[in-house]
Amino acid sequence: MHSDTPHILREFDKAFASLRNEVITMAGQARLNLERAIHGLLERDLEKCKAVVADDDEVDDAELRIDRIGMETLVRFHPVASDLRQVITSMKVAANLERISDHAVNIAKRARKMLSRPECPEVPFIEPLYALADQQVRDALSAYTDRNSELGQSLQLRDKELDKMHKRLIATFSARLEEGGAGTEDFLHLIFVSRSLERIGDLAVNIGEDAVFLDSARDIRHEKHRASVAEGAAE
Amino acid sequence: MVSDSPAPAVPEIAIDQLCFSYGAKQVLHEVTLDIPSREITAFIGPSGCGKSTLLRCFNRINDRIPGAKVTGGAIRIAGIDIARPDLDLQVLRRRVGMVFQKWNPFPKSIFDNVAYGLRVHGEKNTKVIGERVEYCLRRVALWDDVKDRLKASAFGLSGGQQQRLCIARTIATKPDIILMDEPCSALDPLSTLKIEELLLELKNDYTIVIVTHNLAQANRCADKTAFFYLGKLIEHGPTVKIFSNPDVQQTESYVSGAFG
Repeated sequence: MHSDTPHILREFDKAFASLRNEVITMAGQARLNLERAIHGLLERDLEKCKAVVADDDEVDDAELRIDRIGMETLVRFHPVASDLRQVITSMKVAANLERISDHAVNIAKRARKMLSRPECPEVPFIEPLYALADQQVRDALSAYTDRNSELGQSLQLRDKELDKMHKRLIATFSARLEEGGAGTEDFLHLIFVSRSLERIGDLAVNIGEDAVFLDSARDIRHEKHRASVAEGAAE
Repeated sequence: MVSDSPAPAVPEIAIDQLCFSYGAKQVLHEVTLDIPSREITAFIGPSGCGKSTLLRCFNRINDRIPGAKVTGGAIRIAGIDIARPDLDLQVLRRRVGMVFQKWNPFPKSIFDNVAYGLRVHGEKNTKVIGERVEYCLRRVALWDDVKDRLKASAFGLSGGQQQRLCIARTIATKPDIILMDEPCSALDPLSTLKIEELLLELKNDYTIVIVTHNLAQANRCADKTAFFYLGKLIEHGPTVKIFSNPDVQQTESYVSGAFG
């Protein structure tokens, strides 16, 4: 439950608006980094790859700012109920965005190495995986900003599709790797790029779970694991 | 059939469809609420919402106000309707003690303040009275501070100590229930925390109902919290639930400071 009624203490609303705006800005920067890393790889654009590495500091700084604003909000205003969930969730979303940007940097660094070598024809294979991972990130952020628990929860299910696609790609690249030849190093890089995209999907799921908590106070993390443990205990 | 599940606990105070008026002005509207035994229940809500009126119904001290009366429903304490004509009010008020917003020790010694209720209720044995006074002063963590000046005036104590003395005076007559109407509103933060610590210790033996405007205090101390607005009980439940994920929008707005 969330009310749009302003707080009596307007400073409280200002702190909230500031926190929310910082997260939205950080999310934009993290997604831009990911987009430039992938396009740098696909388009063999060294400048884009360099920009990702250089701009990662901005994302790191944003995470620190969000944590600081969150801490200050907790200390000054003692938020409760959905306000408290907003602060906690924003800080957790920021941590996940920072890791998404780190993966973008990993991809950009791999891409930079691949750019120094002849073009690998299998590079476009990662494009569908990126499209799906990016869609997951976008939906996760929408779930957070719109307090949409239904959308947030749907990410768990859709992550399975991303996992399957990742496994297929790894199998393809591993097979090429085993064949040996001049492209061996490229396939190794592509395996790591795929893994980063798969991890980005997981981080999007985390954000989706945080959005569910924000909207409905339900903690759906590790639900499947907990259910299977309970099932095992019952047997 | 044998069941392993425990029998449902009988509420210490059962409020059923209670309506209350001051003359023509109705201030409580069909309040239904069970207050469990050996827990702290906090009543919260904006000024004029009826929470203090409800508290004062439990030991019927509202009876003293001209025109004030229960116009419907009932309150049962340990299963007994407290509106029964044959109920001895002195017995009720011994079972249901009260601590007020402003500490109000009698103009007597520290010892006599605690002993007062025992003497009023007929206890004459000085050894019994002395032991009970020491026990009560220890329970409120005041004994070490005052044991060497028990005959000194209670007014020489600090505000927080005087409030703890009033709590000692309340528990001296062995009540089952302690009602507290904003007991810390005039205390400094450290004295407030000492009272809160005391409440948490006392709840092992007493059912405590506290009216407070200090939401953080309700959050820290109370097992259950009830939110009132315009004489109606809006929501009641475990304090963690009320402050983390209440069911009613009005409750959420009030505890979040977005009310009005």
